Amino acid sequence: MKNIIEIKNLTKRYDSNFQLDISKLNIPSGRIIGLIGENGAGKTTLIKCLLNLVKVDKGSIKIFDKDIVSDEAIIKENIGIVLDGMFLPEVLTAKDVDSIMKDIYKSWDSSEFSRLVTDFQIPLNKKIKELSKGMRKKLEIASALSHNAKLLILDEATSGLDPVVRDEILDLLLKFVKDDEHSILLSTHITSELEYISDNIIFIDNGKIVLEDSRDNIMENYGLLKCDVDYLENIDKEDVIAYKKNKYDCHVLINNVSKIRRKYKDVIIDKITIQDLMVLMIKGERK
Amino acid sequence: MKGLIKKDILMAKSNLKVLMIIFIVFGLMSFSGNDNSNFAFIPSFLSIVIMMSTFSYDEFNKSNQFISTLPNGRKNYVLAKYISTLIVLLVSIFMTAILLIIFSLATNTMNFFEIINIIFGCIIGIIFVLCFFYPFIFKFGIEKSRIILFILAFGITGLGGILMKSNFSVTIPKALIDFFNNYYFAIFTVITLGLLFISYKISEAIYLKKEL
Repeated sequence: MKNIIEIKNLTKRYDSNFQLDISKLNIPSGRIIGLIGENGAGKTTLIKCLLNLVKVDKGSIKIFDKDIVSDEAIIKENIGIVLDGMFLPEVLTAKDVDSIMKDIYKSWDSSEFSRLVTDFQIPLNKKIKELSKGMRKKLEIASALSHNAKLLILDEATSGLDPVVRDEILDLLLKFVKDDEHSILLSTHITSELEYISDNIIFIDNGKIVLEDSRDNIMENYGLLKCDVDYLENIDKEDVIAYKKNKYDCHVLINNVSKIRRKYKDVIIDKITIQDLMVLMIKGERK
Repeated sequence: MKGLIKKDILMAKSNLKVLMIIFIVFGLMSFSGNDNSNFAFIPSFLSIVIMMSTFSYDEFNKSNQFISTLPNGRKNYVLAKYISTLIVLLVSIFMTAILLIIFSLATNTMNFFEIINIIFGCIIGIIFVLCFFYPFIFKFGIEKSRIILFILAFGITGLGGILMKSNFSVTIPKALIDFFNNYYFAIFTVITLGLLFISYKISEAIYLKKEL
C-alpha cells in the first residue's frame, strides 16, 4: 500500500516555545486516520504544515509523492478541506459557493455539489450566516467532497453537531474511503467517532507523536486494569504505562493485555476506549 | 483566480443596497446644492470602503486562511483583491459619470472636459489610497490597518497644518508647471500604474511569507 502522506524530520517552532517535532510519519492511502491529542498538542499545527499555511523550520512533507512547497497547487487540487471555523464568508450562499468553487477547482463537479446540497437539505439561496451550525458544516463537507479529492483533511468537522447529523456525516466519510485511492485525516476531540470509523490512530502530545498504530491493534493490545490502590504496588513497573488513582480504586493503562491477564489473575481488565487511553497517557502518573 | 474575484464581487454586491442609498442621498444633496464635483468623489470612496469590508468578512470567517488551502489560493487572493477593487471602482465611476452627465445637462454647470477631469481625479485618488493601504492590510490585517490609516491621516493633516502655519513654500520652475499642465493625464497615469504594480508586488511578497 502506497503512502499518501510522508513526513520526514519535521520541525515547526513557535515563539511561545511550542515545537512540533515529527521525525517520521507515513500515512497509507485508503485509510481513515484519526488525529488525537489535547488542545494545543500540535494537531492543528500539523495540519497547517501539511497545507503549507505555515513555514516549517526543518524537514520535508510529501503528499501524493509530491513536495507540498514546490507542488502546492497540484496537491491542493486533490485535497478536500474542512477546518474548524474556516470557510468562505458567511454573506455568501450555497449557490455562490458552487459558482466560486467551479472557478477554483479544475475538477469541480457542480452536479455532485448540487446532489449533496439537496441530500443535506441545504437551502441554495440562504446566506451561510442564516444557516444552522449543522447546515454550515454540511455545506463545508459538500464543498470538500465535490471536486473528486483523493484526500480529505478534517479538523473538528463534527464538533458541535447533534448525533443524527454526526452519524450522517460519518457514514458519508465511510463511503468516501470505499477504495484504496481515497483517504481521510480526521482530527477530533470526539474520540468515540474514531473508534467507529478510523483505521489508524495518531496521538500527538506536546508536539510529538506518542502513539501511532492501527485502531484494531490499540483496542486489542491496550487495556484498562482496575485494581485497589494498594494492589498497584504488586504490578511491575514495566507493565504499567500510566496510572490514575481514584477515590476507591486505581486505573492502570497497560499494553499486551493477554500477557497481563495471565500474569495478574485477580484483577479486572476492561477494554480500553480511546478517551481513556488519551487521558491516561496525558494526565496519568508514571511508575 | 476568477473564482476569488467572483467571491469579492458577490460580497460587494451584498452591500449594494447600502451603496445605492448613500449614492442617491449624496446625489440629491449635490444636485440641490449645484455642487457635482463633491458628489463625484463619494461613490468612488464608497467603493473602496466596500472592498475594505470584504477584508473584514474574510478575517471574521477566517476565509483568508480557508482560501489559502485552495489551489493557488494564497497567491491569487492578493491579485484578486486588487482586480476586484478596480472592477468595483470602475463600476462606481461609470455610474458617477452617467449621473454627472445627466446633472450637467440638466443644470448646465459643467462641460465634458470638466467631467473627465473629475472622474480622472477620483480614479487616481482612490488608486493612490489603495496602493498605500493594501500592503498594510495584508501585513497587519484590516483592524490594525484601519488604526494605522487613522493615525497617518491625522499625522499628514497635522503636518500640512504645521507647514501652512510656518509659511512653507516651494518655488516650482514655470517650465515644470507648463509641462505638468500639458501632460498631467499621462504623468498621473504612469505614476498610478507604477504605484499599483509596486503596491501589488509588496502585498504579494508580504502575503506569501505570512503565517496563517
